[in-house]
Amino acid sequence: MSTTVYSARRILTMNPDRPSVSHVAVRDGRILGAGTLEELRGWGKVELDERFAHKVILPGFVEGHSHAYEGGVWKFPYVGYFDRVSPDGTRSKGLKSIEEVVAALSAVEKGLPKGAPLLAWGFDPIYFGGRRMNLADTDRISTDRPVVVIHSNFHVANANTAVLAKAGITRSTNVHGIVKDEHGEPTGELQEMTAKYMAYRAAGVELAAVLSDEQAVWRFARVAQLAGVTTATDLHNELPDSTVEGYLRASASDDFPLRLLPAFAAASVPPEQGIARLQGLMKRNNDRLRFQLVKIVTDGSIQGLSARMRWPGYYDGTPNGVWNIGPDEIDRLLLAWHRAGFQVHIHTNGDEASEVAIEAVERALAVAPRWDHRHTLQHAQMADAGQFRRMKALGMCANLFANHLFYWGDIHYAKTLGPERAERMDACGTALATGVPFAIHCDAPVTPIGPLFTAWCAVNRLTASGRTLGEAEKISVAEALRAITLGAAYTLKLDEELGSIDVGKRADFAVLDDDPLSVAPDKLKDVGVWGTVLGGRIFEARKA
Amino acid sequence: MSPFTVIGGFLGAGKTTLLNRLLRGAPGRRFAVLVNDFGALDIDGRLVAEHTGDTIALANGCLCCTIGDSLVTTLLSLLDGVRRFDHIVVEASGVADPGRIADLAVLEPRLSRDGVIVVVDAGEVRQRAADRRVGDTITRQLAAADLLVLNKLDVVSDLALLRCWLSTHSPAPVLEARHADVPIGLLFGLERHGASSADIPAEDFASWSYEWPDPVERDGVLALLRDAEGVLRAKGILRFADSPDKRAVVHLVGRRLDITDDGSWPDCTASRLVLLGLKPGLRPTLVAPARFCAGPG
Repeated sequence: MSTTVYSARRILTMNPDRPSVSHVAVRDGRILGAGTLEELRGWGKVELDERFAHKVILPGFVEGHSHAYEGGVWKFPYVGYFDRVSPDGTRSKGLKSIEEVVAALSAVEKGLPKGAPLLAWGFDPIYFGGRRMNLADTDRISTDRPVVVIHSNFHVANANTAVLAKAGITRSTNVHGIVKDEHGEPTGELQEMTAKYMAYRAAGVELAAVLSDEQAVWRFARVAQLAGVTTATDLHNELPDSTVEGYLRASASDDFPLRLLPAFAAASVPPEQGIARLQGLMKRNNDRLRFQLVKIVTDGSIQGLSARMRWPGYYDGTPNGVWNIGPDEIDRLLLAWHRAGFQVHIHTNGDEASEVAIEAVERALAVAPRWDHRHTLQHAQMADAGQFRRMKALGMCANLFANHLFYWGDIHYAKTLGPERAERMDACGTALATGVPFAIHCDAPVTPIGPLFTAWCAVNRLTASGRTLGEAEKISVAEALRAITLGAAYTLKLDEELGSIDVGKRADFAVLDDDPLSVAPDKLKDVGVWGTVLGGRIFEARKA
Repeated sequence: MSPFTVIGGFLGAGKTTLLNRLLRGAPGRRFAVLVNDFGALDIDGRLVAEHTGDTIALANGCLCCTIGDSLVTTLLSLLDGVRRFDHIVVEASGVADPGRIADLAVLEPRLSRDGVIVVVDAGEVRQRAADRRVGDTITRQLAAADLLVLNKLDVVSDLALLRCWLSTHSPAPVLEARHADVPIGLLFGLERHGASSADIPAEDFASWSYEWPDPVERDGVLALLRDAEGVLRAKGILRFADSPDKRAVVHLVGRRLDITDDGSWPDCTASRLVLLGLKPGLRPTLVAPARFCAGPG
């Protein structure tokens, strides 16, 4: 029974009784105490470890809404606009023009075996002043090999002529989702189901397995660890046997640097089957893998023009979005899982979707009253103050998509939501004011995993072009740090076990190079992450 | 190439009932049926040749697969497999746009698009279509249909009105049914009627409906139909003041107007007329209905 005491420049505990201390003691993977060295010596013989003496320790970050696909997509080249850290710690440089994307992929192409498809991800043309990628670009990468460049939203892709020819797509193909130029010729840009179908056609069905196999979940854990994350969700997975086995094998290793919480895709099988399956999986939980979450996806995305919105709808007049699961089904699924005692996470982007989900929870509670269910709206990007008040009254939580403010805030302001609703989106300030327990998230791989960046978004609310989106919805750095630790843990029902540095909790830490409470709020995202501690085990972040 | 059919329609309309008929009712024809859920399928256990987690193979050569999370991967797995089928049928989810699913057959060289069948709950469709949350989902489904199966006829009191309403939402032929009992042969080899989702969005159409509780003047209605601008079609059931005991059915397609005698009135006596046209061209004359109501006495 050895006890290690770590000294640090500062330890921010999230424990209001002693919010900032100098030492933390760890025994058997748990926190024995946090205070002065003298206080901790009271536990008996301790070993003082001063490796973090110049670092700042926080509770390990908790990412409440991410996907293990983040690890899957790193099997393919990243071609996004912004720099992005890959699982091996190297920094993939952002590509600042379509020319750069073509050049980078042309280089990758030369290394591929003959006939193999080339997939890339993370592309986002909104930063290129209206210029879209077209067949002339993708055909320069290759004319014979299938090329599919998937956009950062994962709903749109650009293909080359080899892909279009295989499907017989021409100017006369009259199918939703084939973008055509002013002369009526396909540009190679494909949307929604058409994009997905052609990507799978090009890459083969095994793509789905590759995206969430054992190697993918290892890469996901590493990329999360590099950002200071010790607990993360894989928030929507059908959990086929092959995926579950991969998760079990990966998490069985002491070297696996993450506590992983997959959320079962509620709509994938009838509830009675799903409940039995998830209950069975829960018997296989271990310290680093926790089956307990369920997810219902109601609508699409705001930027994909598929969110379900209340009146007056999209700012640019686009018709209302689509239901993935309609209101009646949401009621039925929610009630079944609610009755079985599960906490349900409900994806809602548009405010009509949030309204339907809130009312479904209200009906479920009327039929089957339950305490502390903590059903959580995931994204809830357009929720207004009234909806937050209803969430509070019903005992619901919210996990807000703060990263959206930066990546798509300009589009929301100008096209999708218009000024007022863009300014109040991802309303952390309103969540605080109404008392709704909340977290903030990245939805990786849609945006990179990085809770300090996510906190920076919630604090500064700056768009990519530098516009401040909603002064009144800003929260303080301290509040944002709570949202990425204890706040997120609460939305996952893990707050009694992790999320703060407190006696008896798991020894999960984020070790930072600097003090996030001392740097200027607009520099929060630049605070370096030295690494993490998970259950007392130290994981230094590899630096490129 | 396998013909590819999509069966759409809102929750509870009768899609599964129709699928059950399909699996039983076409001997010698090997269907692969992709469904959301096996639970509601009525499969005779004695006919099951093999049952794995996601598929049920029947002794008659048909195969049922659950779609799970991704129709795209389920469909591709089926096509990449060794078994061949005479026809592939997909059950769309209750809120899906079946037209977009049918697009997959245009993209996939191994499939030929046979058609979109939309099953309609005769008792509920109008109320659902007026719902602010699902109304647009319903009308998109109707607009995508190459064939409508108007199901649960036994629960409607005024079929003529429903037919009229339906015709303003879809140009597709209608098969009327109880318990989704339709001749299987009529479901396949469909002519394309459904709007491609790449065509004019449904939002560009406008409809205008009138309802008059009392008998109306024949000349007034004719004038209304003549003067209204941008009308593509009109349908109505009217009680004319000159023959108040008869139900007159009015059809206008382009410039052709038919008024036919439809027998006597049941208890409900209100006259209704629906105009359909393209926005913003549709400008019905705003006549106060009272102007051509015969009125009391």
